[in-house]
Amino acid sequence: MHQGYYQSMGAADMAQLQATMQAIELACNSIQMHTNPTAAEATLLSLSQSPRPYQACQFILENSQLPNARFQAAGAIRDAAIREWGFLEPNDRRGLISFCLCFIMKNANSPEGYVLVKVASVAAQLLKRGWLDFTAAEKEAFFHEVEQAVQGSHGLDVQFAGISFLESLVSEFSPSTSTAMGLPREFHEQCRISLEQDYMKAFYCWVQYAAFNVSDRIIGANSEIPEVKVCSAALRLMLQILNWDFRGKNSIENSKRGMDIFYDGMKQENDSLRRSECILVQPGPAWRDVLISSGHVGWLLNFYTALRQKFSCEGYWLDCPLAVSARKLIVQFCSLTGTIFPSDSGEMQRQHLLQMLAGIVQWIEPPDAVSKAIKSGKSESELLDGCRALMSMATVTTPLVFDELLKSLRPYGTITLLSALMCEVIKDLMENRTEEETWSWVARDILLDTWTTLLMQLDASGHKHSLPPEGISAAANLFALIVESELRAASASAFNDEDEYDYLQASIAAMDERLSSYALIARAAVGATIPLLKELFSERIMRLHQGRGTSDPTETLEELYSLLLITGHVLADEGQGETPLVPKEIESHYSNVTEVDKHPVIVLSGSIIRFAEESLDPELRRYFFSPRLMEAVVWFLARWSSTYLMPPGESGENKGGYENYNNTQHLRGQTTNALVSFFGENDQGKAVLDVIIRISLSTLVSYPGEKDLQALTCCQLLHGLVKQKNIICHLVTLDSWRDLATAFTNERVLFSLNAAHQRSLAQTLAVSASGMKTSEASNQYIKSLTSHMTSALVELSSKNDLKAIAQQPDIILLVSCLLERLRGVARASEPRTQKAIYEMGFLVMNPVLIFLQAYKDESVVVYLLLKFVTDWVDGQIIYLEAQETAAVVDFSMRLLQLYSSNNIGKISVSLSNSLRSEADAEKYKDLRALLQLLSNLCSKDLVDFASEPIETYGTNISQVVYTGLHIVTPLITMDLLKYPKLCHSYFSLLSHMLEVYPEIIAQLNVEACSHILGTLDFGLHHQDIEVVDLCLRALRALASHHYKDRGDGKVGLGSHATSYKDADGKFHEGILGQFLRSLLRLLLFEDYSTDLVSSGADALLPLILCEQSVYQNLANELIERQVNQTFRSRLTNAFQSLITSNNLSSTLDRMNYQRFRKNLLSFLIEVRGFLRTV
Amino acid sequence: MSDEEHHFESKADAGASKTYPQQAGTIRKNGYIVIKGRPCKVVEVSTSKTGKHGHAKCHFVGIDIFTGKKLEDIVPSSHNCDVPHVNRTDYQLIDISEDGFVSLLTESGNTKDDLRLPTDESLLGQIKGGFEEGKDLVVSVMSAMGEEQICALKDIGPKN
Repeated sequence: MHQGYYQSMGAADMAQLQATMQAIELACNSIQMHTNPTAAEATLLSLSQSPRPYQACQFILENSQLPNARFQAAGAIRDAAIREWGFLEPNDRRGLISFCLCFIMKNANSPEGYVLVKVASVAAQLLKRGWLDFTAAEKEAFFHEVEQAVQGSHGLDVQFAGISFLESLVSEFSPSTSTAMGLPREFHEQCRISLEQDYMKAFYCWVQYAAFNVSDRIIGANSEIPEVKVCSAALRLMLQILNWDFRGKNSIENSKRGMDIFYDGMKQENDSLRRSECILVQPGPAWRDVLISSGHVGWLLNFYTALRQKFSCEGYWLDCPLAVSARKLIVQFCSLTGTIFPSDSGEMQRQHLLQMLAGIVQWIEPPDAVSKAIKSGKSESELLDGCRALMSMATVTTPLVFDELLKSLRPYGTITLLSALMCEVIKDLMENRTEEETWSWVARDILLDTWTTLLMQLDASGHKHSLPPEGISAAANLFALIVESELRAASASAFNDEDEYDYLQASIAAMDERLSSYALIARAAVGATIPLLKELFSERIMRLHQGRGTSDPTETLEELYSLLLITGHVLADEGQGETPLVPKEIESHYSNVTEVDKHPVIVLSGSIIRFAEESLDPELRRYFFSPRLMEAVVWFLARWSSTYLMPPGESGENKGGYENYNNTQHLRGQTTNALVSFFGENDQGKAVLDVIIRISLSTLVSYPGEKDLQALTCCQLLHGLVKQKNIICHLVTLDSWRDLATAFTNERVLFSLNAAHQRSLAQTLAVSASGMKTSEASNQYIKSLTSHMTSALVELSSKNDLKAIAQQPDIILLVSCLLERLRGVARASEPRTQKAIYEMGFLVMNPVLIFLQAYKDESVVVYLLLKFVTDWVDGQIIYLEAQETAAVVDFSMRLLQLYSSNNIGKISVSLSNSLRSEADAEKYKDLRALLQLLSNLCSKDLVDFASEPIETYGTNISQVVYTGLHIVTPLITMDLLKYPKLCHSYFSLLSHMLEVYPEIIAQLNVEACSHILGTLDFGLHHQDIEVVDLCLRALRALASHHYKDRGDGKVGLGSHATSYKDADGKFHEGILGQFLRSLLRLLLFEDYSTDLVSSGADALLPLILCEQSVYQNLANELIERQVNQTFRSRLTNAFQSLITSNNLSSTLDRMNYQRFRKNLLSFLIEVRGFLRTV
Repeated sequence: MSDEEHHFESKADAGASKTYPQQAGTIRKNGYIVIKGRPCKVVEVSTSKTGKHGHAKCHFVGIDIFTGKKLEDIVPSSHNCDVPHVNRTDYQLIDISEDGFVSLLTESGNTKDDLRLPTDESLLGQIKGGFEEGKDLVVSVMSAMGEEQICALKDIGPKN
């Protein structure tokens, strides 16, 4: 029909089309040859941006000999049609889609597949664009053709083309893979729901039928035949449809209410993804007939089994695309779950899984033979897919059902098979320890995930569930093998030099995850695994002592290192901020053991603690306790003590908040007796705590320069101890703790701790003050802890020759150390010790300013000073009385001024580029600290515990912060705003200030005001959505303040907002007018996320209300520019309805904002399309 | 910290050429260190172990503060390193002579005429330009281990 269309055209038009085609072909060629690509790109762009280029594009598609030109023409159709969709005639819309569909069918045998894929995706996008407007009959008409094609009535090529069109369509309708069309998300969501409801199942049936029909021919053939291509495409599409994120009926109702179901859906997805990589397939009851009752699965499994026989034939092998797609689909079927199965207590699902397992088990059994075959060169993909299938099954069933499945086929359960499989994998890992990822790495990770999935379910069910006995012994065997392999790996790597340190750092997180999975397996068989660990541990310690002085202990040390890590994971969980409980499996398994010396956990823990204690002996320390082993010891003690050492509620207190464990409550009562009370406060707890503190002190003093070890001691072990209230009150009574505090103030060697550890240790010691009986004692303790630091600083700052000696390295080191310590203490601010910590800061206020002057060129010290003040103010500000607040505010302002006068207008230059960028980074960090300081001051206005209002002493926080901003902003250059963190802190402070105290702007002078507003304009065009959003909020606050104030007859933003002509007759526009212009330009012409439209609307409305005439001028300007009459009238109407439709009034209330958001959205959809065209 | 521990001479240039020993583990990024006899600013510190169960060592990457050259060193972290005494002094700029030397006003009222203009183009431009415009300029001179260099410039307003 199109041919006739062209024939009816005049010769002149034909010549025009020919010319366009040649131009496009030339451009495509020159891009490929890379001659003048910019000009070529411009040519291509001009095609897609010209109004209604469809005729030319269709002409190129049908006549060009150059596939690239056809590809570009298809893209141009897409771009133009999406842009102009709003004003295309319905006939044209349909015409474009059917043109594309006809094109792919007609050219189905063309060798340039990528052109077809492109045209198919254009068809899919256009169909989606009009989806909500087309009638059912219109859609039916499109799909009729497609169905015919997919069913195979026009030959294999067309069948393939039909399937690949459906593939594009499904991925276009799935939110995660859809293309942006400049429409709100609701549109995409509605399309998604509609497709799922009305067409998805039909698509599936079509391709299912297609695959079924060609499969016989494939099985019958002896070599690769064209049907294979169709069949794998069909299988791929089925897989894609099963991967669809089905929402079912409920979501449709939700979607009418609003968009929040999006977030809901996202969250769900994240949850299931975190647990495992497998995606659950939950299509709902409507799919039961197609997927379950039709025997579809049986056909699929048989088809693959038949395919397996053919792997020897030419054209078929284990990893041929057809086999891969079939296996993927089978694995996907294993994760089928949800309401597709009737509520028959899981019977039908069990049947389904059994059928799947019967098919899959051939791929993985017997494990040793399979592993051997792979080692001798067979592809591992069947084994890996088999593992994935097990993983999927474990995700959709309970452990017991999972185990039972295999029992109807074999004399043993699925867990036994799982364990056997994993043992083979571990054996292979032990034999070939290489750096590369081998099949056994991948298999191990999948299988470990499977175990984790199974055992986490046991864990979550909360009851006294455990694996069946056979499963327990399978887990025990597996764990023994795992430990053996880890130990062997340890001793083999003991002499490796850790030059690949970075690589190791990266793998530590992965290793931690692996150890947690191992721990789950161990806990499933606690009865066997804890004694095993105990035995292995004693063996190693004995070996150490026997070999003392005669043999190199390195291998044994590395084995102990591994064992400590494994044992730590098995015995205790990571708290993640909470107090971890004794793992349930451990607790319930030993519920009957009452004798302390026979309790395996006590025996194991005891032997490790005794071993750790040996590190206090200097001689033994030298022999055994290498820094690395000590790291493991300290790590273990930290992890262990947070669970077992003086646990809360041990002294018969009510364990509130554990309602979930009601069933086991009576059990807990007994079991905790033996285990918990042994390390409790009334028994060995205090002694163990004492040992731990002494070990900590010795690692800090006796391992100089071992940063990792000191980090573990300060930040994990000690920090963890003072987090527990019940430990703190014993801690402060111990001599060893007092020794630690004394060493901290006096020992020179502790001054050489790393800065961060110095700070952490100070914080820890200060926090422990809360363990004192009275608040006087606490404050006294802080005072004695800090007095040496404050007096040293005061003394140093008052030296006459400070200027001369300040720059000496040893003085710099001393000052930095003391400041770090003060900062640590400041961070430990609590209501109870607040007085003493305020005193501490008050004493050094003056020295801080003196040092800021003396060290103005020593950026490291400057930063420390600023950070100390920031942290101190942060901890103190809300508690301060009015007078103290005045002192702190005054001090902060002097600090800001001094910093500013030292740095403003300063140009540092260095020969080295990296030093220069270092200097920039330092400046950025300083400014960030200053902004933080201002934010902290700001919080006084929000939370204030002072007994009288701070205004009593004439402090006005908003004024202070504006003054501060005024001092700081000149230091913040546009270059510095490129640092994302600084940019965020600056704009959040600025928008907070403008939202809460917009009136202050009026009081600023022109220069200060223009700088602040300049940055606001900069932020408006920032890449980061959050920054733009903050600026929009600030704008909204400014404009609405002005509007309301003017309404009340007040000044509003005063002179800043008024336009005037200066003496030279130059016109100066008021700030709100400027922002209106800038915001409108942004909304109409620039690229931004659709998420910003609502906050854009919120800022735009008050701006328009303030500056009605500017708005009218801008609108007229844009309308004048439009040459096309239709567009012109559309634009006029759009501008009019933006401020009138939906009964928009001129008030600034919630309702009105909401109306305006709607108006703006429809305005943008209406006009952005053609306004952005050149 | 008792008083005796920091008892120092108070002559302004005392120790200008001196270095101080400091434990390698305490030297951090952005601090100073002497590498191969040159005063450097540390731009990167990383630690590693000598063998798995050996002791920690620090790997420093430093930039020579005068020449901008990159230097590296590895030191056991419990050992001492030399740390240079880097001093910065501000002088008011009085004059620029034609042979590329500057004349600076010291705090005591004398002049210091032994420093060359910096080679860095942008700083040089700023100094010359500012001086010709008649601005009041303060230059910072960085000195360490017997070397000196102009390292920063500050405009404190027009000349009165």
